[in-house]
Amino acid sequence: MSHDDHVTLESRDLTKTYHSTDPPTQVINGIDMSVRKGEFLVVMGASGSGKSTLLYSISGMDRPTSGNVFLEGRDLTSLSDTEMSRVRLTRMGFIFQQAYFLNNLNIRDNILLPALKAAPKERETAIARVDALLERFGIAHVGRHGITQVSGGQLQRASICRALACEPSILFADEPTGALNSSMTIEVMDALTDVHREGTTLVMVTHDPACAARADRVIYLRDGLLVDGRELGTWSEEQAMQREDALLAWLRKMGF
Amino acid sequence: MKDSLYFRSAYNDLMKNKGVNVALVVVLVLSSFLMATGSMVMERLVGSVNQLFDEAKPPHFLQMHKGDDDPDALARFAAAHPEIDAWLVEEMLGFDSAAIAWHRPATGGSGDLADSLIDNLFVTQNEEFDFLIDETGAIPRPSQGEVYVPVAYQQRFDLQAGDRLAIRTDNGFQDLRVQGFVRDAQMASSLSSATRFLVSGADFRELGRAGGGEPEIIAEYRLADPSLAADFQRAYESDEALPKNGQAVTFQMIRIINAFSDGLVAVALVFVSLLLIAIALLNLRFVIRGTLEDEVREIGAMKAIGLPHKAIARLYLAKYRVMTFLACIVGGLLAVIATNLLTRGIQANYAEAPPSVTAILVPVLALGLVYLFVVAICRGVLRGVKKIQVVNALVHGSMLDERQTARRAERQARRVRKTSLASYRGGSISRRLAFLDLRAEGGQWVLIPIVFFLATVLMTLPMNLLSTFESPRFVTYMGAPESDLRADLQFSDDIDAVREDVLSSMQGDDRLTDVRAFANVLYETQGEGWEILRAEVGDYSGDTVEFLQGERPEPGQIALSVLNANKYQLSTGDKLTIRQGGESTAIVVSGIYQDVTRGGYTAKMQGEATTGAAGYVIYANAADGADPAAVAADYSERFPVATVIPMREYVQQTLSYVTGAFRSAAVLSFVFGVGVAVLITSLFLKLRLTRERRKMGVLSALGFSIGEIIAQVRGRTILSVAVGTLFGLVFAATAGESLVGLFISLAGLGISNLAFLPYPLLVYVAFPLILIAAGYFGAVVLTARLRSADKSGWLKG
Repeated sequence: MSHDDHVTLESRDLTKTYHSTDPPTQVINGIDMSVRKGEFLVVMGASGSGKSTLLYSISGMDRPTSGNVFLEGRDLTSLSDTEMSRVRLTRMGFIFQQAYFLNNLNIRDNILLPALKAAPKERETAIARVDALLERFGIAHVGRHGITQVSGGQLQRASICRALACEPSILFADEPTGALNSSMTIEVMDALTDVHREGTTLVMVTHDPACAARADRVIYLRDGLLVDGRELGTWSEEQAMQREDALLAWLRKMGF
Repeated sequence: MKDSLYFRSAYNDLMKNKGVNVALVVVLVLSSFLMATGSMVMERLVGSVNQLFDEAKPPHFLQMHKGDDDPDALARFAAAHPEIDAWLVEEMLGFDSAAIAWHRPATGGSGDLADSLIDNLFVTQNEEFDFLIDETGAIPRPSQGEVYVPVAYQQRFDLQAGDRLAIRTDNGFQDLRVQGFVRDAQMASSLSSATRFLVSGADFRELGRAGGGEPEIIAEYRLADPSLAADFQRAYESDEALPKNGQAVTFQMIRIINAFSDGLVAVALVFVSLLLIAIALLNLRFVIRGTLEDEVREIGAMKAIGLPHKAIARLYLAKYRVMTFLACIVGGLLAVIATNLLTRGIQANYAEAPPSVTAILVPVLALGLVYLFVVAICRGVLRGVKKIQVVNALVHGSMLDERQTARRAERQARRVRKTSLASYRGGSISRRLAFLDLRAEGGQWVLIPIVFFLATVLMTLPMNLLSTFESPRFVTYMGAPESDLRADLQFSDDIDAVREDVLSSMQGDDRLTDVRAFANVLYETQGEGWEILRAEVGDYSGDTVEFLQGERPEPGQIALSVLNANKYQLSTGDKLTIRQGGESTAIVVSGIYQDVTRGGYTAKMQGEATTGAAGYVIYANAADGADPAAVAADYSERFPVATVIPMREYVQQTLSYVTGAFRSAAVLSFVFGVGVAVLITSLFLKLRLTRERRKMGVLSALGFSIGEIIAQVRGRTILSVAVGTLFGLVFAATAGESLVGLFISLAGLGISNLAFLPYPLLVYVAFPLILIAAGYFGAVVLTARLRSADKSGWLKG
């Protein structure tokens, strides 16, 4: 197929139906969307609109019921589980609402895990990269701590480090600030904004208009359909308030 | 109202976790089934034996005898002992099994009883006691030309009333019609070495006149007080004039012998049941704790609205009460069917006990105990509800209080500080993760090794017992040398001449080597009065018999069996006074050996006795290339009075009563062991995988494939299974062997130090592989469904 060099991720006529319910629930109902290279895209919508399902379908965590997903021109829906896992390991990073970590590993090992798995023969490079990430996000001093010994903000920053450990081309974040207080939210969003500024493509699901205002573009989902989208342009701290107000006005129009 | 709430809650809960609940119920049903069956078999056995004893009135003491006897001495003895209620001397005619043939006029079918190795004694019905009883419980009195055959033969050779029996005498065949079948209180057990046929007085006299039968007598006594049988036996044995060239048996021994052979099956059932109950309880504990952890928020909410912890615990307990109750009912019903099958033999050999309260009460009591025990343990585990704190439960979803949470975090931190993936230079990172998980969560996985430990013990012990009792090397527990052939010469008038013939033939036979003759000589020794001591006199050079303590006897020394050494409280180096023909000598005990033959009471002396013995046994090895069975058959034909059989067959026949029970136990334990292993692994993994959903979701998001995640689960399972199985094997071979040895030595068989003679390939290779395969199979089935799952669902918890 022809491929637009600026598009990193693209979905075509994507649907997802859960057959475990009676009757089956169609959560996504034919979504066409694309994410540009280096773009910070936010997905918004009311609870149950299909935001998270869309995120997990385009990231290859779940198999869509029908339709296709292309990452850098490669059809993810045709890959085997092992191939898809490899794509997630080397090309994608994930940040969740709860900082899910393996509690039998310390913070540093949790971050190191995907890096060592992706390139077991380049362990020294991987270790150096992870240590640099720990320094950059200000959590090097808690690297040997257990996951119950650090704050929620530190843990979510560690999540970002882990998502970046394999230098992915795209980062998926599902409500990354949903479980944090306001100061920790700012801390995490600053970190994500930094990551985006350095060129990483970012797709984030959020309920929080203040967080969404940091995006380049926002799309809005209702009942499994993509109903509208809005370009916000590049974020700057000075214009933060105006962007947020404008976004809120648009969201109200959408019925948010 | 309240009860219906508990019931509704239990019902909903049962329906919610069908798989787990079904697995739990299956284990509980198996436990209660075996417990009920074991107790019912025991009850029926005791009932049947008692019933037969009531009908048949067996003697309280009996002495068998071959050869001449002095009837006046017996009469004098009886007159001098007022404790005798009644006494009789039963005359018997012993015929070799090969001398008895049968044919069925209706079909033309025929055969003989040659396969049977036990003595066939023809008798007439007694008048006062020791009756042979027919299938209806009546005392049959055959007319001329009729014979009643032992029920054991009816089953073994499929004989029917109306068949003809032909007995080969010196004057041709005597033909009798099978009129019916008889049960024999004295010789009912499969342990007995003889069995009785009932004929009319006229036919008995005819058989005696015709010749070919070996006359024997049994002197039988009914005592006013049966508990004095042991004292009576001593009095009998100390009277030199009385006949005693044969086995002496007391009422108590008859009862024990009867109960022991068939009782072993019941004991094995109860043993398996106890292990299964242990497994069921471990599972229940695991499931209940898991449920409490999963539903801690709901419990917190119930506590928050003011429900007392006891009411909450009752809500959960209701489900386990229902499950255990159902399991006991189903297990009990299945047990009724199984018991009817298992006790067919018992009922045929003994008697059908009349319906009684105990027949219902015993299994109900056993099931009641199972129910109460299981519910009590569940109640204990549910005490955890009391400790749950509302805020911790509702806010953090934790069962722990703050101090416990802090302690756990500290422990976890200490552990993770020590591990470092950066310095790990081993192989796959996935394997490393599986290992770290297992190390950190060992406590949660411990169920699997424990269950496999128990399953291994359950499967291995009965199999090792079976292989030990089946091994040709078991002769070392029979006080006999390890040889290929055994010739048994029982007492007859010309026994010394027969011995000479057989021995010289064997010694001159190229097919045989190392021929040794041993004589059964009766001595007397000082116990509580003078008592009979049976010694085997022969050549023990070359360490043919294994000694537990000390060594083989030199001339002028004696070696004692374990039971004799215990009875006379002697050990190696002590002196024992023996008497023969009125002449006493003190001899030194050279060693102690294990022996299950002749009730376990034997002795061995070095030397050669060629006359005056009660019987002889000749052992020989087959020369290279010679077939012991063929040689045995040859000698049996040439010397009809001698029983010549290959050693392997001798061991098998002598111990068939025990090996049969052990074989049933081994098969049963194998099936149950493997079944329970698969079931529990599946149940455990089902619950475990539910709890590990989030971790699997994280690993999937990080780029671990489903294949790798499944491999981690299977790897941990296999490792846990292997550890449990290994410990089980080690335990079975060490402490298990000692425990079984203790049980066997308590059983009074004459073995005080049992060493297993296992089938190494089966027990140490095949069993562990089968168990590991069973665990792996459970893991494969349970993990297979992970492939089709949506991984994002795992992250939602």
